Amino acid sequence: MKLGPLFARLLAQPRSWFRAVLRRDRLEAEMEAELACHLEALTADLIRAGHSPAEAARQARITLGPVLLYKEGMRASLGLRWWDELRADLRFGVRMLRKSPGFTAVAVCSLALAIGANTAIFSIAKQFLFDRLNVPHPEQLRLLGWNGDEKVASFSYSTHLSGAQQYGMKSESFSYPVFRQLQATDRSMEGLIAFSDLESTAALRGSEKRLTVEAVSGGYYGVLGVRPQLGRAIQPSDDGAPGSGAVAVISEGLWVREFGRSPAVLGQSLHFRRATLTIVGVNPRGFTGAQTVQRTPDVFIPMSMYTLVDPWGSISLSPLTNSMWALEVMGRMRPGAKQTLVRAALDTELAAAVRSTMTLKANETVPRMVLADGSRGLHPMDGASAPLYLLLAVTGLVVLLACTNIANLLLARGAQRQREMSVRLAMGAGRGRVLRQLLTESLLLAALGGAGGLFLGYLGTIGIPKLLTGGQERELFQIRFDWGICAFAGVITVLTGLLFGLAPAWSATRSNVSGNLKESAQTTTRRRRGLGGKALVGFQIALSTLLVIVAGLFIRTLIGLNYVDPGFRTDHQIVAVIEPPVDLFPMRGNIALFQHLEQSIADLPGVESVAAMERPWPSQGWGTTSFATEADGADPSKAVEERHFGVGNTFFPVLGVPIVAGRGFGRQDTAISSKVAVINQSLARKRFPSGNPVGQRFNVGDAKKENWIQVVGICADTRDASLRIPPMAQYFVPYEQNVSANEVTFAVRTHLPATSIIPMLRSTVAHVSPNLPIEEIRTGKELVNESMMIERTLAALTAGFGVLALALACVGIYGIMAYSVANRRNEIGIRLALGALPAQVRGMILRESTWLAVGGIVVGMAAALALTRLVKVMLYGIGPYDPLTLTAGVLVLLAVALAASWIPARRAAGVQPMDALRHE
Amino acid sequence: MAYEKSDRQTDLMQGTLDLLILKAVSLGPLHGYGVLLRIQQISGEELVIQQGSLYPALYRLEHQGAIDSEWGESENNRRAKYYRLTVFGRERLEAETEKWRRMAGIMGVILSATPEEA
Repeated sequence: MKLGPLFARLLAQPRSWFRAVLRRDRLEAEMEAELACHLEALTADLIRAGHSPAEAARQARITLGPVLLYKEGMRASLGLRWWDELRADLRFGVRMLRKSPGFTAVAVCSLALAIGANTAIFSIAKQFLFDRLNVPHPEQLRLLGWNGDEKVASFSYSTHLSGAQQYGMKSESFSYPVFRQLQATDRSMEGLIAFSDLESTAALRGSEKRLTVEAVSGGYYGVLGVRPQLGRAIQPSDDGAPGSGAVAVISEGLWVREFGRSPAVLGQSLHFRRATLTIVGVNPRGFTGAQTVQRTPDVFIPMSMYTLVDPWGSISLSPLTNSMWALEVMGRMRPGAKQTLVRAALDTELAAAVRSTMTLKANETVPRMVLADGSRGLHPMDGASAPLYLLLAVTGLVVLLACTNIANLLLARGAQRQREMSVRLAMGAGRGRVLRQLLTESLLLAALGGAGGLFLGYLGTIGIPKLLTGGQERELFQIRFDWGICAFAGVITVLTGLLFGLAPAWSATRSNVSGNLKESAQTTTRRRRGLGGKALVGFQIALSTLLVIVAGLFIRTLIGLNYVDPGFRTDHQIVAVIEPPVDLFPMRGNIALFQHLEQSIADLPGVESVAAMERPWPSQGWGTTSFATEADGADPSKAVEERHFGVGNTFFPVLGVPIVAGRGFGRQDTAISSKVAVINQSLARKRFPSGNPVGQRFNVGDAKKENWIQVVGICADTRDASLRIPPMAQYFVPYEQNVSANEVTFAVRTHLPATSIIPMLRSTVAHVSPNLPIEEIRTGKELVNESMMIERTLAALTAGFGVLALALACVGIYGIMAYSVANRRNEIGIRLALGALPAQVRGMILRESTWLAVGGIVVGMAAALALTRLVKVMLYGIGPYDPLTLTAGVLVLLAVALAASWIPARRAAGVQPMDALRHE
Repeated sequence: MAYEKSDRQTDLMQGTLDLLILKAVSLGPLHGYGVLLRIQQISGEELVIQQGSLYPALYRLEHQGAIDSEWGESENNRRAKYYRLTVFGRERLEAETEKWRRMAGIMGVILSATPEEA
């Protein structure tokens, strides 16, 4: 057979169907006209055959037959029948849903909530917990790190330092010389790469752009196995002597934004302040670098260009020096290699590299190599992974609850409509036809809920990252709306709806029609049928109890954290962070600059006082130096790292940190006066256990060099690292005496509103020096609140879910009790007629729901007791078995259950016996 | 029950009616009433067709692509819908005619068989 006609034949039916559906009016008119034409011709023939016109018309109509039936046949011939029926079903479904708006609202909201919450939380969790770097075989990547005891060879500054509160060190940063040596000596891995991120400003096609930059070692692209989609990658030959290899590979995003995908991008220039880089390649789509999957650096440069691109531009601060441990290092495992062997090999190499690049002091230890999974990058959000797992669990429970609710509602409704089904069957509707009608209704409900869920999920994927980061870290991460997860959630909830919507219909259509019609509110069947619903409600109450208790624990944690005294003042305070670019402001000159700034700010009208400090509080990072008291003598083993903090003279009064002994800093403490320090109480206890520390001296830094500082005062402890961490030992020095001061933070006390003081501060700083960027400017309260962002978000989300769970359970209890009362009208009527008091009837209904609630609460409590210890680490100030929270949770649930059954109970008590009996 | 029976009747008719319509239309474009007249004329008025049932059959054939339709002027200057055989319709007519002939032949042989051994 020839292809053309075959194709035409295959297309004929769909084409004819669409034509019929789309031009329905015309089709109907044509059918009418055609039949009329037939009738007319037939009549004419009959008249010609000798009939009178009236008789001919009558005869013609008889001969033609039942026109309506034939028209239906014509429509069926075109395949329009199921379409018409679907439309009728939909119309009817919409009418049914409109008739019971309460049911519709609850069912649609439950569905939307289940799908939306699921999509949002799972999208976020998937990205943070499971998404891998977009490179070949990410599972082979290992992130190198090290840990050490408190005497580990220390480094003036380490990024990603964590765990220091245990006085042990754990870090994922290495110095450039150490990396170079590891790379040269290592044979255990397929290759090692180093990378470090920075931000800089570059002129691009004539305008200044703030760019995120990733400085990478020469072997980066080779080891990751990534090829640019355009041009070439950064090669080992680019990463030579510092300042060589002025090339850059840009991200696809930047290519699209700035160059409109033009291939002419190759060879164009990026003008940084001190270097001009030539674009040689464009990264492939979806490549985010090795750091993280959450965001993509705009530009990748060879490590050799780091100092020239870095806006600070100081050699001593660049990660290329011995003392800066600020590079992340990753390696690719050889297939089949044993991790323990590789780690041991790298450990030896690390020790050798540290010894050869640094001079170790006598008591210092070398760091030990640790290998971590690198398939997801640095995963700096690991701190949030426990909360995310908790959110996942809570979301799962809420989704389960929503599904239960839908099941419950549909079961109750299905039972209610059993009579309707029976009537339809009795009137000749086919069973399939009745089921199809119900299926259409369920799908309609599902579609409404699905649309709502899509909307909620979309909002969630936008809103929750904002909640988690507090909006201050711009573009820290972006959540991609995950269609797969949304579809999965949709399918699950819709299937629930279909299953529980169709189950009652199935049983209704199977049962004997006349039996169902005769049967009404007979007690025997009521009990059997009510059981499924009651089990569901009990389950709901159990789930809600669990969720409400978890929410309670987090709200208590948040309240506890809000009442923690940080030890310093945050009220009426504006905090401005200033980082002078090193190439414009040589370090030594900064102190004069900072003093000038401090004076200018203090002179502003409305400013009560101002204090300079090294970093804003609370601060996650800190610097430490080797610290030896005079009493420790020359014993090098007693020199232990302590935290230090440079502050201005007015720091203690402005921050409200009390001086408990001796004095604070004053005008007499200048850059040239004798070196002084204020220590906090923890340090006094730890390092000066006997005697009064005031007046004693200690030596910092290299033990061989004399750098004595005298303690002039003791201040109270502060929770300056985090409100959750108990105060740590630290000493304060005047920033004038701290030569490494390279950034400054001003805490400004004022009663002016933030909106009016912030512009004044900005213009003052710009007036002092137009090139001075203000990195950050916020109120003290904001900084403290942001430090508790994860607690806050968790508390808000779990509390939100708790309330939702309560609402869902409430609706569930109300629905099932109302349904039960409606079904028992007859029985209640008889009871009342036989002399029962309305109060007794009300009591009966309330008793039933109370038992249901108590059963659910007991199960929920048991689950809560078993599960809440899993969240122990995330709580603050309370244990997982906090009796107050448990009691409150139980009481709330009980109250809600009683409130939800109160209306049906009152309705039952108000039944008029005669009405109830006549009702049948 | 009555409904089911009539259903089966139509089924039985359908195959035949479709073939008759295809044959009628193969001789030239016709409107619905014309198809009816042509069938009656060819069959020597022996076949009685329920007139209305012609239309679902016409629509079905058109839906399947065996015939094509077009509005035109009827002999008494009225607008009428004319049906015409398509290429596919002609193939189908030939195939069905062949099938019908073979069937008729076989039936004829079977029905004209006489007992030989008895």
